[in-house]
Amino acid sequence: MATAGADLIRQMAAGDRQAFALFYDRHAPVVFPLILRIVRERADASDVLQEVFWEAWRDAGGYDPSRGSPEAWMITRARTRAIDRVRATRRRSQTFVAPLDEAMAAAPADPAGDAAEQAADRGTIRSALGRLPEAQREVIELAYYAGLTQTEIAARIKQPLGTVKTRIRLGLERLRDVVKTSP
Amino acid sequence: MTHEPFDTLAATYALGALDGDERAQFERHLAGGCDVCEETLRESAEALAALALAEPRAIPPPEVKDALLRRIAATTSPRLERPQPRRLVWAVATLAAMIVGAAFTGTFVASRYEGRLGQMAREAAALRTRVQQDEAALREQIAVYQAAVDLLRDPTTRVVTLHGLGPSPEATGRVIWHPVSGGHVFVANLPAAPAGSAYELWTIGDGAPQPAGLFRVDASGRGTHRIAAVQGGKTVKVFAVTIEPEAGVPAPTGPMVLASK
Repeated sequence: MATAGADLIRQMAAGDRQAFALFYDRHAPVVFPLILRIVRERADASDVLQEVFWEAWRDAGGYDPSRGSPEAWMITRARTRAIDRVRATRRRSQTFVAPLDEAMAAAPADPAGDAAEQAADRGTIRSALGRLPEAQREVIELAYYAGLTQTEIAARIKQPLGTVKTRIRLGLERLRDVVKTSP
Repeated sequence: MTHEPFDTLAATYALGALDGDERAQFERHLAGGCDVCEETLRESAEALAALALAEPRAIPPPEVKDALLRRIAATTSPRLERPQPRRLVWAVATLAAMIVGAAFTGTFVASRYEGRLGQMAREAAALRTRVQQDEAALREQIAVYQAAVDLLRDPTTRVVTLHGLGPSPEATGRVIWHPVSGGHVFVANLPAAPAGSAYELWTIGDGAPQPAGLFRVDASGRGTHRIAAVQGGKTVKVFAVTIEPEAGVPAPTGPMVLASK
């Protein structure tokens, strides 16, 4: 599947619109919920989705399969653009705290209470993120879904920047191991 | 220096959470070429992608795909012309176009379209001339406005109001006047001067009125005119406009249409 994906990008680079349509059908259903989760508004998410696939069409010639799977290529792109959008909105609205609170409410950083319910919602993501200690999971989710930078995370969870950095590093190390060992 | 600090930077960078100086520092490090960090970034991107891949799928609104396909169709990509199989098609198409083109050029166009082409060329030339004239007029206007604005920045510049008199009570005017540099007069609601005549501006100080130039107004009754400084920098007390023969006269003879108080 990964090879087939890379082939599609190569065909897109050669100007093949049909390859693009297939590529879109394959990746949009993964990328769209991610964007939606980050930007929150459906209209914004549609905009970002279009932007991301337009860039993929335009930049297809620069794709190097040795540097990552097509999935990672698209998902990284989608996350980056979605976070850009969230940060721009945050700057525009000049209200810093409210969106953070909203983002936190949306981010699945659950204490004890309704953990079971949320776990069901989140499906299999728990299997990877769920294996992390709570403190590591929290910082990664704040960056991944709320688009916070390390400094913002430190302010948010009231921990020293160094602590945040360490948690991010350890958390990502763990996630990389999970992915490497999973089939 | 060990590599360890960069492991942390790479992880944070992969998450998109690196900010400030550290981000710049890490990007410099990457630009210098670091296989370890490249690998960390690559693996991190795959791991983070796996999080999204583990989530339930959702079908995006169909109009996004439609819009993208339209957008792509609208851009004629030069990449399309490159693939091998199309080369033959292009060769055939080009040859056909050449044959058709030759037939047209040789007879058809020459006999039937020559007159029209000539007419179009004349129209295009006329249009070009008009555009050039318009552009020159606009540049001139901009230069006047610029000069006026420059004058207004100078605290010694005065703005004098002109009032309509006798034959043209509706007329109004302003003089922007600098005692050393001279100035500009702007008039409005002034009807065109009668045939064979023009408006002449006068500066009046202690002695006789001094001629300060002739000007015309456009169809909407507006006109501007640059006023040279008065020799010797003498004080001007009154500005006035009269109707005079279009060649201009050394002393006012006609009716006064505008004057300052």
